[in-house]
Amino acid sequence: MTYRERILTTLHGKRADKVPFVHLWRRLQTGEAEREARNRCMGVSWQRPCYVQSMPHVEIVERRGPSVGQSTTLVEYHTPVGTVTERLKKEPGVGEWKAQRSWRDVTPWAVERRIKKPEDYDVVRFMVEDTVYKADYFPIEQAKGWLGGDGIIYANLPHSPTQMLMIDWVGTPTFYIHYARHRDKVEELYRALDRRYEEIYRIAAESPADAVMFGDNLDGVLVNPNLFQRYFMPTYEKCARIVHEQGKPLASHFDGRLGILKDLIAKCPQDIIEAFHPPPMGDLPVREALDLWKDKVILIGFPGSVFSLGTDAVRKYMLDLLRSVIPGDRIGVEASTENLVSDEHLLVLSGILEKATLPLSNESISKIEHFLE
Amino acid sequence: MAGHQNHLKALKDGVANLDFEGVQRAAEDAMREGVPPVRAIAEGLAAGLAVVGEKFERREYFLSELVVAAEVMKTGMSVIQPYLKGEGVKARGKVVLATVRGDYHDIGKSLVATLLSVNGFDVIDLGVDVPAETVVEAVLENRPQILGLSALLTVTMPEMERVISGLRAAGLRGRVRVIVGGSPVTEEFAEKIGADYRAADAVDGINKCMEWVGSTGGVESG
Repeated sequence: MTYRERILTTLHGKRADKVPFVHLWRRLQTGEAEREARNRCMGVSWQRPCYVQSMPHVEIVERRGPSVGQSTTLVEYHTPVGTVTERLKKEPGVGEWKAQRSWRDVTPWAVERRIKKPEDYDVVRFMVEDTVYKADYFPIEQAKGWLGGDGIIYANLPHSPTQMLMIDWVGTPTFYIHYARHRDKVEELYRALDRRYEEIYRIAAESPADAVMFGDNLDGVLVNPNLFQRYFMPTYEKCARIVHEQGKPLASHFDGRLGILKDLIAKCPQDIIEAFHPPPMGDLPVREALDLWKDKVILIGFPGSVFSLGTDAVRKYMLDLLRSVIPGDRIGVEASTENLVSDEHLLVLSGILEKATLPLSNESISKIEHFLE
Repeated sequence: MAGHQNHLKALKDGVANLDFEGVQRAAEDAMREGVPPVRAIAEGLAAGLAVVGEKFERREYFLSELVVAAEVMKTGMSVIQPYLKGEGVKARGKVVLATVRGDYHDIGKSLVATLLSVNGFDVIDLGVDVPAETVVEAVLENRPQILGLSALLTVTMPEMERVISGLRAAGLRGRVRVIVGGSPVTEEFAEKIGADYRAADAVDGINKCMEWVGSTGGVESG
């Protein structure tokens, strides 16, 4: 099987030849270790945009300089119903090489979000309703051409409407308070986003990508079961209906603590839970998740905290993890979803996973372990 | 005094039920009827917050409700505060908080700041992307009992160790307890860098801070 075939076979819920191992394209270093890991077994998972957007009736002014701060950008959104502002902090490197990422591959960070008071909801709702989405599949077609059999492409969607509010536009603590005090404003904006996003679900579904990624950075401590049931699940249902009509699987980036949401997630229509973090970073073991989510594929985000414990710990964790998921169906491993992985750790993971032939058994994993000794 | 009991109950229920308007009204009524402000805070608002904590333990409430309860309590405090007239409310303790250099994640730290504040701590929040030297200076200047450090990226976790080394170099390590948190931060890591505790989440962190300072607390506020 090519790496692409291996990943796609797994994502469609069937047994591949080996446990797929992928690295996220934008986290992937280039060089000797990367070449070695790629030669062994490491595929590439690439999330690409599928549309462009504009707001014809919104004037956007960006300010930098002494009055704002050298590393900060003040963005003003002027609309016919009012103005909102946000402040973005940028690390060294932003705007000086590829796109808007820093030397460490971090995008500018909102240190002051655009919704601060109840009146801001009306302005942002205008912006949402004014937004024009237009399909643009060039990034996906280009990536497909480049990758060939080496990996797969997701059509990338933004955070779902409620996460857009909680993470991007309001901030979680303020969101909680606004939701308690000004629920009508919050829900109006949620409904506007939910309505408008149907267009981009359709664009993503009709794209030439292999699957659609609903990046949601879900964490059950921040998103409680009530919020999840009321605002997230209906959105996922709507998106999945549109994506499934085109025969594509739907993935969601659920990289947080999911224990409290595990039963609700079982009822969600996503085919793939991507960036699933088992303990020590998450709070739900993979085995339990596999048993609960019988119709879902789990792409395990290798916990970054284990990297900080050294190569022996990484090796032991990976082998233990494989033992916990015997026979190894419906899983894949992602090198890391949250930061760069060192060369030595990339080689440890690829050294194990190139031998992770399916179905896994205690004997086959012991053989891998002995081989590594 | 039975009237006082009714006002205290209204304050307590208002916080427990996350009722902004109810608490505002109950606080105004209580002050107008001469309920001692310190009693209104301790037996009204704080008692309500304790109910919220119990509901959280029973999973009837979640983190979102803890944050809202803190805000409801602030609404009540804003009414009662002017009546305190020198009746000093002793801070439970002083905490300096920071998200370490290179890391811009603010949600966890801000939640901790809010919850500590409403639980009677004097909180000095240094913000995000804070260099180790700035943290050490803040500890030197403010003399907190507790320093809380947050990191959400494995690449920024080593900054926590730099802060602790800086505290040692400045002769401050023995004077402050260090609590670290953030999803990639493990107990092993906390032990390795010489932190006193790794908080699994915001509530765990608050509980540890309360345990450390005890019920009587330490420093006088403002």
